[in-house]
Parts: sequence; structure tokens; C-alpha cells
Amino acid sequence: MKMKKRLLNLFVLSTVLLWQTGLYAQEVTLARRGDKVSERTMQVRKQLTEVIQDLKKRFGMDFIYENNVLEGKKVFYLSQKEENFEKVLSDILSSVNLSYKKIDQRVYAIIPQVIEKKTANLSDKALQLIQNPKEDLFQPVFSFETFASRLVINTLEKRISGRIISSEDQQGLPGVSILVKGTNTGTVTDADGKYSINVPDNGATLVFSYVGYTSQEIAIGANSILDVVMNPDVRSLEQIVVVGYGTQKREAITGAISTVSAKEISALPVPSIASALQGRVAGVTVTNNGAPGESPIVRIRGVGSISYASNPLYVIDGFPTGDLNSFDTRDIESVEVLRDASAASIYGSRASNGVILITTKKGKRNSKLSINVDSYWGTQTAWKQLDLLNRDQYVSYATALLTNANNALPPRFSNLNQPIFAGSSQTFAQTNTDWQAAMFRSAAIRQHTISLSGGNEKSRFFASGGYFKQDGIMKGTGYERGNFRINSDHQISKRITFGQNITIAYDSRFNENNPGGRTQIQNMMRMTPYIPVEDPNKLGGYGGAEGADASDPQNPVRAAMQDISNTQRLKLLGNAYVEVEIAKWLRYKFTGGLDYVSARNYSFAPLYNEGFNSRNPATIGDNRDLYFSPIFTNQLTFEKTFGKHTISALAVAERQQFRYIGLGTGGNFAANTIREMSGTTNQTASGSRSEELLTSYLGRINYDYAGKYLISASIRRDGSSKFAPGNKWGNFPSVSAGWRINQEAFMKDISQISELKLRASYGTTGFNGIGNYAWQVAISPNAFPILGGSPALGAYFDRLGNTDLKWEKTTMANIGMDLGLFENKITLAAEYYIRTTNDLILAQPVANSLGYAQAPIVNIGSMENRGLELVLGYNNKFGDLTFNASGNISFINNKVLSLATESSSLFSGANADFGGFDITRTVVGEPIQHFYGWKVASIFQSQAEIDAAPKQANAKPGDIRFVDSNGDGNITANDRMQLGSFLPKFTYGANFSLNYKGFDLTVFLQGVSGNQIYNGTKVTGQGMLRLFNSQTDVLNAWTPSNTSTNVPRAVNGDPNQNSRTSDRFLENGSYLRVKNFVLGYAVPSSALNSFTKGSLQSARIYFSAQNLLTITKYTGYDPEIGTRFNNTLSNGIDYGQFPQARTIMVGVQLGF
Amino acid sequence: MLKKYCYIVIASFLVLAACSQGLDQLDPNRVTTENFYTNAAELTSGVNAIYASIQGNGLVAREYWFLHDLRSDDVLPGGGQLETPRNQLLIGSNDPGNSVTNTVWQTSYRTIHRANVVVDKAPKATLEDGLKKRLVAEAKFWRAWSYFELVTLWGGVPLYTEFVKTPAGTAARATADAVYQQIIIDLKAAQADLPLRHEGANAGRVTSGSATSLLGKVYMHRNDYASARTELQKVISSGAYRLVDNYIDNFLEETELNSESVIEIGYSKIGDVNWDGDGNGAGNNETTPRSQEYGAVGWRNCIPSDRLINEFETIRRGDTKDDPRYQMSFYFLGDRFNNDKNTLTDGMVQGNTSRVDGATAKVSWRKYSAMYKTADTYYTSGINIRLMRYSEVLLMAAECEIEAGNLAGAVALMNQVRSRTSVAMPAYPTTKFPTGTKDQVFAALVHEKSVELGGEWIRNRDILRWRAQRKLTREPFSYFTANKHELLPLPQQEIDNSDKIDQKDQNPGY
Repeated sequence: MKMKKRLLNLFVLSTVLLWQTGLYAQEVTLARRGDKVSERTMQVRKQLTEVIQDLKKRFGMDFIYENNVLEGKKVFYLSQKEENFEKVLSDILSSVNLSYKKIDQRVYAIIPQVIEKKTANLSDKALQLIQNPKEDLFQPVFSFETFASRLVINTLEKRISGRIISSEDQQGLPGVSILVKGTNTGTVTDADGKYSINVPDNGATLVFSYVGYTSQEIAIGANSILDVVMNPDVRSLEQIVVVGYGTQKREAITGAISTVSAKEISALPVPSIASALQGRVAGVTVTNNGAPGESPIVRIRGVGSISYASNPLYVIDGFPTGDLNSFDTRDIESVEVLRDASAASIYGSRASNGVILITTKKGKRNSKLSINVDSYWGTQTAWKQLDLLNRDQYVSYATALLTNANNALPPRFSNLNQPIFAGSSQTFAQTNTDWQAAMFRSAAIRQHTISLSGGNEKSRFFASGGYFKQDGIMKGTGYERGNFRINSDHQISKRITFGQNITIAYDSRFNENNPGGRTQIQNMMRMTPYIPVEDPNKLGGYGGAEGADASDPQNPVRAAMQDISNTQRLKLLGNAYVEVEIAKWLRYKFTGGLDYVSARNYSFAPLYNEGFNSRNPATIGDNRDLYFSPIFTNQLTFEKTFGKHTISALAVAERQQFRYIGLGTGGNFAANTIREMSGTTNQTASGSRSEELLTSYLGRINYDYAGKYLISASIRRDGSSKFAPGNKWGNFPSVSAGWRINQEAFMKDISQISELKLRASYGTTGFNGIGNYAWQVAISPNAFPILGGSPALGAYFDRLGNTDLKWEKTTMANIGMDLGLFENKITLAAEYYIRTTNDLILAQPVANSLGYAQAPIVNIGSMENRGLELVLGYNNKFGDLTFNASGNISFINNKVLSLATESSSLFSGANADFGGFDITRTVVGEPIQHFYGWKVASIFQSQAEIDAAPKQANAKPGDIRFVDSNGDGNITANDRMQLGSFLPKFTYGANFSLNYKGFDLTVFLQGVSGNQIYNGTKVTGQGMLRLFNSQTDVLNAWTPSNTSTNVPRAVNGDPNQNSRTSDRFLENGSYLRVKNFVLGYAVPSSALNSFTKGSLQSARIYFSAQNLLTITKYTGYDPEIGTRFNNTLSNGIDYGQFPQARTIMVGVQLGF
Repeated sequence: MLKKYCYIVIASFLVLAACSQGLDQLDPNRVTTENFYTNAAELTSGVNAIYASIQGNGLVAREYWFLHDLRSDDVLPGGGQLETPRNQLLIGSNDPGNSVTNTVWQTSYRTIHRANVVVDKAPKATLEDGLKKRLVAEAKFWRAWSYFELVTLWGGVPLYTEFVKTPAGTAARATADAVYQQIIIDLKAAQADLPLRHEGANAGRVTSGSATSLLGKVYMHRNDYASARTELQKVISSGAYRLVDNYIDNFLEETELNSESVIEIGYSKIGDVNWDGDGNGAGNNETTPRSQEYGAVGWRNCIPSDRLINEFETIRRGDTKDDPRYQMSFYFLGDRFNNDKNTLTDGMVQGNTSRVDGATAKVSWRKYSAMYKTADTYYTSGINIRLMRYSEVLLMAAECEIEAGNLAGAVALMNQVRSRTSVAMPAYPTTKFPTGTKDQVFAALVHEKSVELGGEWIRNRDILRWRAQRKLTREPFSYFTANKHELLPLPQQEIDNSDKIDQKDQNPGY
């Protein structure tokens, strides 16, 4: 809707500027033209005033006009002529040098038309809106002031003036119509959003309306100044929606497309658009994953592919790209999520997991230069810490653990009174390190954006520069980005338009270290409490476990502070287009674009020696990667209306190439002084190049009959180099239909229903997110045995190829309904879909005895996601109080339909630290990767009980008794069973916002429900596998005198495998989060004007908090669990992933 | 005007269509399998990849000796820091999820795959016939070695003699007999085509002696001591091997590939350990963590067992001489290390103590420890790991002589081992080890094998064999459950991912 507003701005502003420069000339023109008109009026049959009344009845429209504009004019008019309303109006008015401006869905202002002006870039969705129908290529030019002052009915009693601003950006809104209720008297705001109007002093009410915003009615009181804040109408049907390769009016949409506004996108202080989408769109599940700068997991309508990250395709200003981190959310105008196949299949082979279209901001045509500054500063903290053992508890736990296993106690325990290091006055007995406090920190977050925009009649631009920096809440992590953008477009000639979008971004990320192959959370939990963080006597300066401690945890602080893993990237993403209007109904557009990324991955691991853990030599890794992806698109767009039939069609030929070049180097140092590759020993270098080509042809046709019946069909044919010969080409068709019931005559009388539309769609999309050469089997020449005393070259292959490899295809059927009640005060959108994925591309786990290290890539199996999505909106105003509420909820049901693997089951998630057994299994008839393990029955209280129970080798009193689910009297792997799923039964988001005078308050809730988490931190904290620090729960371990407990006995080595995969570690993962809370205040423009003499146009300050409150039963750090091993079959397992932070921040927004 | 634009549009669509070539992309970084293994260099690199896999972390660099040591009575835990899956092997509570056994299973099969590739591809390769035969023989040797590992640890296992071409190519469990038959076929082929010695850049490759020695060992496990005797005698009479004078030279980096070495895996002090289980990756990590895992000042995850420590002959217990191999096998507090620059003190050594002659002592492994030349508490070494030494061949031959009833011949072979220059133990019979009866000679043999080869990954399999052949006088493990602990459990992942193996095919007791 913002786009729409902006387009109108453009329209209005351009007219204002034109008038300002050409007022005199304009009057002259009018006079001269007037003569001509009078010649024509000779033939007219009707008075224009009568015609307007007739149109009012016929089309149910309202008009605002000044009486003398219409007076005396006669037009040729045939009332039986059936045509599009705007066309009729335009024809009638242009004959008398008048024009119209659409104020609202049913309100048109009639205004004098002066300068003939060619429309600008027709692809611009703003202009499409204005220029509807397309035949109207004339832009009216008129003076608001003149218009306003003349739009006066005889009884003028009182003059009201004020400024109208948008609640979204606190900027003045030009072009808002102000109408005295019950009359035709009205005016329109100027370029700064200012207005003044004369109203009868008899308790009149003013109606403020603007497309894309909620209309307001305000009764005139005693005050003559009336400032108004307009709130966006969350689901205005007038909105222009970006669809693949074009735009459409929301009312004409037949697929399932959601729009997220710039305001929602920039509400959260997150570096990535994906994180910003969390909870905003029904059907889109976002799980934040890892340290700052790590990409979140985004799933649209459930899990698609089994073995591959089923991320959606991101298309930025028409450019399909995969990577969003380098992208500043504040450059975004709107985000469209294409959820169903009819919307997404235009992106064919890459659209199976949904498509997210991102449109960046444009300048305003004919506007003065505007500068906006947007900054915030905040601090992030971990919102939860676990109860870990302190020193004395640790010693007592360790004693029990080791004694029960007949292991010697660590020598340290008998002399804790020794100094922590030679020369220290502190002893181990006096040391009690809180490793969580040592690792977590209050981390700063800040973002500053400055944007410039403006334009004249021919050209416009938007430029922005931004800086974002986020420190991680765990030491050693952080993300920083600087970005620059310039978007512009230019009308080169009457028929030719040129435009470009380009962004350049630099970012740098310090990744979480995983010393010992374990997450920092794991290391933090395991670290011995009597060991100091620092120890100046040790190489590296950090404390650590030694022989005397009989435990070998890694010091997480040392790794965080010393081991560097840094990714720096420079990204350039841009495209440019030329558009030619061949005829009014036919446009040709050529677009060329480039996605270029230059990345450096640098790692330095210095020499150190903590005792048990040390490193020698120091290792350095320095890798450079280049990514280069040019795209060329030829596009032909046809749009024409014949009577009640409107047809638009599209034909595209596109070619996108993807090239990667990598160069990796590594080496060793015997000291920590030099940290660059030069001078290293054992230098290694490796390079690689890979290339992919995607060639596509696509077409789409939309048919609209009388704005009631909508049909759309599309097909895309993609050829990809990724597949084996014979399987390179795939076809991806779709059809959809819509019925706007409220446009039917029988519905016109039901005024409560402002919109009612039924939609249905069916289509096919594809998935090609596999490696470039997945079907080929190639030799790896990188094994180096020592033969004859030095390394010799070994070559091997460890994967099966597959020349039958083909597209994974998803078909989706979708039915939807849009309902608007009471002038869209209440809106409801509902969708139901069935999404079936066939020929699932699977890295099929094979038996290890086949001898292949990598799983072969095959097409086997199918999977189904069924879902229901509901979006409810409510907008209303009570006096000065505006209230908006919107909520969305999605239910998804996932089921694997078939798996033609050898064994029809896929296992995943095994890790020696977490019991050694796989944690998830995927089989037919169940949801993908459900948790699979043993069920806990109880704790054995006596040997007699063990003897009587199903045979469980190595069990002793105090060990867990597992359920003999198959009843064979033996506890074996066959007793494992389905334990639960990581998939939520439903996910939801709810946004509430209040505006009162200058104040605004927003509360955004987000949550998931009905999912399970395999709590690996509990395995780390309570598994008692061997001696490490643990959670305080282990103090409640079973002993002959403490039998009433659910914590099994403490025994080193875990002979009964109490820590095996079982429901002991499975927890409810549901949570409800106050994701965002914002309280803001916009300084009234009158106050701003008097303080800053007009130089500062708008100012807003706000306080905001993210993740302020989380309601969950989950006992780990954070219920938002991503995936640790980037494997889609290990989702929902908390191996100790980086937790989400709570952020408190303040921000300012200034407009100049 | 309109026409002109139309031409532009049509032309540009055509240009794009013309650019649609390029959909046929081949991996530019690597050769596909069809175009490889065609010449001497390529086939050689295929064989080298087998050595890399054996050398890797999943086998000889780490998990291989852990598995055999932990299943023997040569070691005890050094302390509570011994990782759980290892500890479970030591106490017999290992299950089908055990990561150590599963890694050895997996890496053995990956080795077999690499060997199968060489055997399959060699016929079409163009190279000198002698070299081709030798390379195929090396591949067959390692295939046999891997199957011998598998069959002795798991019993009958899936048997693949060519590399698998489709995911559906999974094999069911073959009988142990079938696996042994294949091993013997492969070793006989290797024996015929391998040279007696390798020199220079080929030093460290297996020889006909390697194949013959392993074949002898295989026959012993088949209870075919006659055939074993024949093979082992071939090795002895070949004259290719000789015991080195200095016993400890078998465990040092400076004296690798010596005259006693029969099968040896190369390491070099380059970088750190290559933690990749298959031994893949850039060649700057060529060490083994053996020294670190067991070292007295390292992690000391395993220490020598009291049984082994007290097995050595000593004057304290009435023997005529202290066995020099005692000092060369273990470190004791007070020992000099790091080229005699440091002295081992109690504070340096963590973990459990041992009982030596009724007293408490901290004893650690010296075999394969790099402490002789370093004091670093983190040190991964480049010491080659000897999978088979000539002294083992002699002692195996001695056992065959016992089985053949040639007690004097057996004693003579054992005495050869005892008479090594640096050892020079009194010849059998001794007071403690008389040689009058077959049982007495066998007891002496068991003793001699223990002290000569303790901690060299041999004892586990000897116990398995002796138990199966009812030669054990005493069960070494308190945890031992008959009809269970003879074999390891099949990895659960193998059962789960194979349609030819079911839960009912699991080894008994698991």
C-alpha cells in the first residue's frame, strides 16, 4: 500500500511542481483551448453536470469538484455505452479539457487538465495504478491552492487548516482528500501534506481519505488547526501487488500472495529480511539460527525437500538471488511472499519452496529533495541462564560419579588449596568461576541509515547509505555491515524509459567458534567451576583443565577471544533496464543484471596450551571466493481492455548464469606473531571453479471479465545444467481463478460486505537446489598417505553418481477467500492448500557397507504438506485513538507419502556427545524427521526389579528402565519408537498498534505451538556421560537414599546408556513471545515548524524491546532452535545452539 | 516505428535462444570416474588412496588401536576422562550405537570400496603389466586385511568384491566362511604378485611377506595351523626379515621401516592429526594422536593394565633377569624423557594408578610415545604404526609348531625373540616357564606374546581365537557374557539403512 501512496505522491507532487512553474502559461493555455472547446460543445447534447449525476448513479461513484469547473460545459455522452468507468470519465472530461483524479475507491475529483504529458515508466507499479486505464496518457496539472480556495460552497463560516502525516514514517502525505461530510466540498493536501479548507460552522465533519490508508471522520471542534495522522489500511484492496515479472492490483489477484510493508520489515533490529518476516505472514515459518549474521531458516508452507535446505527463492527488484544478509532492510519498499503454486510457478524450477519478492524504494517524481535519517542504539542480553554446579557442588557430584564407577578421583580434589597458578594468592578452593557470566555479555546493537530521494518530471532517484553493527551476546561473535544503494529511472523519450537499481554492501561476520567440535554453549556448560578464566602462566594466558582435573573441557572464553573465524564480503547487486512502449497495449523490456560477491574467509587459530587442550602449530586459513551471476531478461507485456474484457499477457525469455571461483590456502606458524599467509610452513592451496546455467521461457495470461471473474494461467520452461542429459528441461504450469462476489449485482446492496472474493489455484513448481555436478561422479585427488617417508597422492571417489537425476516437482492446490467487512474495517483472508512434492531429491543414506562416504543424490519419495492459513485484520478509530490489530495463524500437517529407499527409513542426528544414537527418523506415513528413540518407563529401584523386568544389559538400581515396546523381553534397538515432531502444529503472529495524537504503541506477539525439542543441552547438563560440569539437577541423582527422583544414578561411563536417545530429553517446544514492543512519539509538526523554521519536517523518537517476554516450558536456553549441522533432518535438536537475545533500544527518525 | 521495435524484440529473443547452449556442464575441477584409472599414475593414485584410508583417523591413526586395545586386557582407563564410547568398550557395555566400533566398520568398508575400484578398473588401464599386477595385488591385500578385521570382530559381514554401482547394491551378511574364503583368495593373489621388498618412494607398501604373514595369521584363525605353518615358514625362510637389535627401535620415528617391519603405516610430523576419518583432505596433517592419547604427560586416556605390568619377568618375583622390555614398554615416575632432559614427576601424570607388586605406582605407555624426544603436553607424533612385526611372525610360527606337536621347534622360535640383542632374556625353559608339555610351551608362548607385543593391538584377536579354540585357561574379562561378547554388535546404522540386514540379523546378545 505504501507503493500506492508513493505513486500518488508522485502524481500529486508532479502536478504541483508543474503548476508552480507554469501557472501563468497554464492560464493562457486554458484560455486558448477554451475556444476550441466551444466549437466542440456545439454538438453536445448534455450538460456536464447532468452527465456527472448520471455517472454517479450508473457507477455508484462520488465526485468532488468545484461548481464553476463544470458549469456551462456540455459533452457528448451516450449513457447506454458500456465501458470501463475510468475510460468513460476520461473520454468525457478530456473533451472539455478536464481530467479526474482518483481520490478513493469510489471518489473522483474533477480537475482542469492543462499540460499534455507523457506517462513515465509504465512498469512502475505506481504509475500503473494512476494510469488505469492505460489509454489515459494525460496527466492533469492543477493547483491545489487554487483548487482548494475555489472549492467553496457559498456559506463559508470557518477556515480549518493543518497537516496530515503518515503514521508509518511521520512524513507529510500529499494528495489526501478532505471532504466535508455530506457535500461535494473538499480539498487535497499539498506536497508537504498541508491543507486548509473552509467549512460551515455548524458542527461539520471532515472525512480524510487516501488510498491505502484508513479513512477518518473528524468532527470540527473549536480549534481551527486540525493535524491528522493517517494509518495504513492493512489490507487495502486497492493496493498494487508485485507479482513475478510485473504487478497486479490486489483485487485482481487469484493466487495466495502476502504483502509485508516497509514498516513491518524495519520494525525489528535484525540484519536480515528473513528474520524480519518472522510471525508476519501466515504460512511462513522463520527460525533464527545461530550467531549474528547467520541466515535464519525460512520455510514457506512447510518443509519441502528432505535433504536440502528448502529455502525460498528471493527475488530482489526482479533479480533472483539466494543471499540476503548483505541487504539493508531499510531500503525495502515492500515484500511480497508468493505462497501458492499459481503465484510462484512463474519462477519455475526454483519456486518449490515459495518465492519472496523484494521491491526497493524509488524516488518521488517531481518532488523536492528529501533527506531522512533513521538511527537506533540498543543493547542485547541473554534472557535466560541455566543453573550449573558451583565449585563445591561440582566436587561432590564428581566424587559420586567417579566413585560409583570405581574410577580414581582427580588428584586436584585432594589439594584444592593450591594456588590457581604459580604466584597467585588465590587457591582453587577460593575460585568459583561462573562460565556463563564469563561468556555472555551485554552486546551493543546499532543502525544508522540516511536516505536521499527526489526527482523531476523526467528522472527520479532514491539513494541510501546504511551502517549496521551487532555484537553477539556471546563473546567473539558479531556482525557489521555498511551498504549503499542508488535506484533511479529516467524517461528518455516519449516511448523509452531507462532505469537501474544497484546496491553495494560490505559485511563482516565473526563466527561462533566450535572448539573441540562443540558449540560454545556446550563448552560453557562443561567447563570446570574451580578453574580461573585466565592463567598468565599458560601459553595463551587462559586457564584450562590439566591432568590433575581428570576432565578435558575447552575454555570457551579462550576460544572466543583468540580463535578467529571471520567472513568478509563485498557484494554488488544491480540491474538496469530499458523499456519501450511499442503500442499503448504492448511494452517490451530488456533487463540486464549482475550479482557479484567477493568473499574472504579468514581463520587464525593461535598456539595455546591450557593443559589438556593445546594447539601447536598455529594454523591459518585464508580463502577467497568469487561469485558472479549475470542475468538477461527479455520481456513482452500486453495489456488491453475490450469492453468488459481485460486481458494482460506476458512472454519472457531469460538466461541466468552462476559462476563460482574459489581459492583456498592454509599454513602453519610456530608462533603467534605473524597472522598472514606469508612465511607459513606446510602451505596448501586448492582452487575450484563451477558453473551453472539456467535458461528459461515463460508466459502468463490474465483475463478479467467486468472485474468479477478472473482467470490466470502461466507456464515456465526451464533448462538447467545441473541435471543429467535428457533430464535438463522441465515444464512448470499453473492455472488460477477468482470470483469477486461483491461485484455481483446481488451483492451490491449488502453494504456491510466491502469485499468478498473466492480464489482457487493449481500449479507445479520445481526444485533444483542441488550441487552443480550432483549427477556426475568425479575423482577426488586429495588423499595423502605417507609412502617412502613423504606424502604421496591418492585419488578416490566416495559418492555414487546418478544419470537419472531430475527435477523435484511440487504440485500445489490452493483455495482462498478474501472478505472485507464494514469498509474493510474488518478483513479476513483464509487459505487452504495441499502441497505435494514428488520425485523428492534425496541424499539417500546408504548402508555404510557400500563404502561410500557421501550419500547418493536420487529422486525418491514424495511428501505432502496440508495447511490452513488465516489472517484477520481490524482497523478502527475512536476519537483521536486509532487502533489496528492483525493476526495470522497457520496450521501445517506434514507427512511423508513414499520413500523408495532400500529400507524406507532415513536416520539422522547421531552425535557421540549425545548418546551416540540417531535422534530422528523419516519413514512413510509419519512427519519428516520425527524424533525416534526409547521411552523411559521409570527408574530401577532394586536388583529384584531389574531381574523381573525385560532384559536390559548393564542395568543397576538407579538406572533408567526403558519401555519394552515390542514386548520381546529384551530392550533392543527394536524398542525405539516415534517420540514426537519438531514441526509445530500451528504458528502464529499478532500485531496490535495504537495511535493517539503523536504517540504510537505497538505490541507484536509471535509464537509456535505443539512442537517438540530434543534438548541436547539437557544431555550435556544431565547426561552424566563422563566428568564435566553439569546442571544442578544432577545433585538430585538417584542414590539408595534418594530414590524418589527422575534423575538416574551418577555413574561415569553411563553403562546403562541412560543418555541414549529417549523421551527423557524431549520437551515441549511451544512458545509465545513478545517479539517486539514499541512506544514512540512524533513531535507535532506545528512545534517542529516553530523550533526549526521548517527545516525539520518530521521527528519521531521511540523506545523498543525485542523478545521482552518469552512464555515457554522449554528448559534450555531458548526454544527457537535452528539446525546445527545444516542438515534438514536434524532440525529441532538443541545441540547447544546460539540463543536469541533480548534487545532494548531507543531510536530517532528525522525527516528534512 | 512499430515494425522497428518488433524487429528488436524478435531479434533479442532469438539471441537469447541462441545462448541456450551451455546446459551441458561437466565438473571442471575433477575428472569423472569414466575417464580415470586409465594409466600407471592414475591407478597408482587409486592404490595410494587405500593407504590414505588405512592411515586415516577412522582406522590406524586412532580408532583401530583404540578398538583392539580396549577389547584386550592390555589396558585400563587412565581416568574418568576416557570418553564414554571407549569406556563402554572397556567395560563391555558397548551397544550398536558405539561410535568407535561404527567408525572402524565404516572406514573398513570405505577401504574395501577403494580397493574394489582398483581391482575393477585395472583390467582396462594401460600400463606396464608388472606394475599393474603389483597395484592390483596391493589392493587385494588391503581388501583382505579389511575383511579380516571385519570377520574377526563381527563375524559374517556383507561381502563386496566389486565396487557398488547403485544404491540398491547392498549385500546381506555373508557367512564368516565365505568372507574367509575371499580373504584367502585375495592374499594368495597378493602373495604371488607382490615383490619381496619395496625401496625409496615405495617404501611402506605391502610386500609378498606382508601377504604371506597375514595369510598365516588368517589360517590360524581358521584353526588351520598346518596351512598357517606353511605360510609362516615361507616368511621366515625368505630371509627378508630380521629382528632389530634394539627392541625400542620398533616404536621410534627415527627407525621406521626397519628390517623387522612386516606391515607398517606411515605418519610424518607434518601439521596436526588429520581428523577426517577417511584420511582425506589437504596433505598438511600427517600425524597420529597415539602419543597424545596414551602419553604420560598427555591425555593418558589408557594406561597399561596391572595384568600386563605384572606379566614381565623380574628378579623381584624370582626370575633370573628383569625383562628389559618392561622399561622399554612403560614409563614410570622418575624416568628421564625428552632426550633425558626432563624427569617424570607425579604432578605431571594425571589419572589412575596401577598395582605393581602390591604397591601403588603410576605407570604409563612408552611404546609409541613421543616423550622420548619432547616434553610437550600436546604432541601428535609422526611415528609410523607397525601393524605386524617379524617377532609376531616368529611367535605365530611357534604356535603353529606347538599345534604340530613340534615343541622344540616352537621353543627355538620363541627363544629367537628372547635373544634379541637388547633383550637377551634367558632361553626357555626357565623356572617359571618350563617347556615339558604342550600346555607349558603354550603358556610360555602366551607370556612371550604378552611381553613382546603388549599394547600392539594383537592381544584382542588372540583372546578371541584362543577362546574360540578353547585354549584359554582363564577368562580375562569379568564382563564376558558367552554368546554375546565374542562379536561386536553390527552398527545400528547399518541395520537401519540396509534392506538386506534386519534387526534379527544382529549379532546375539545385542
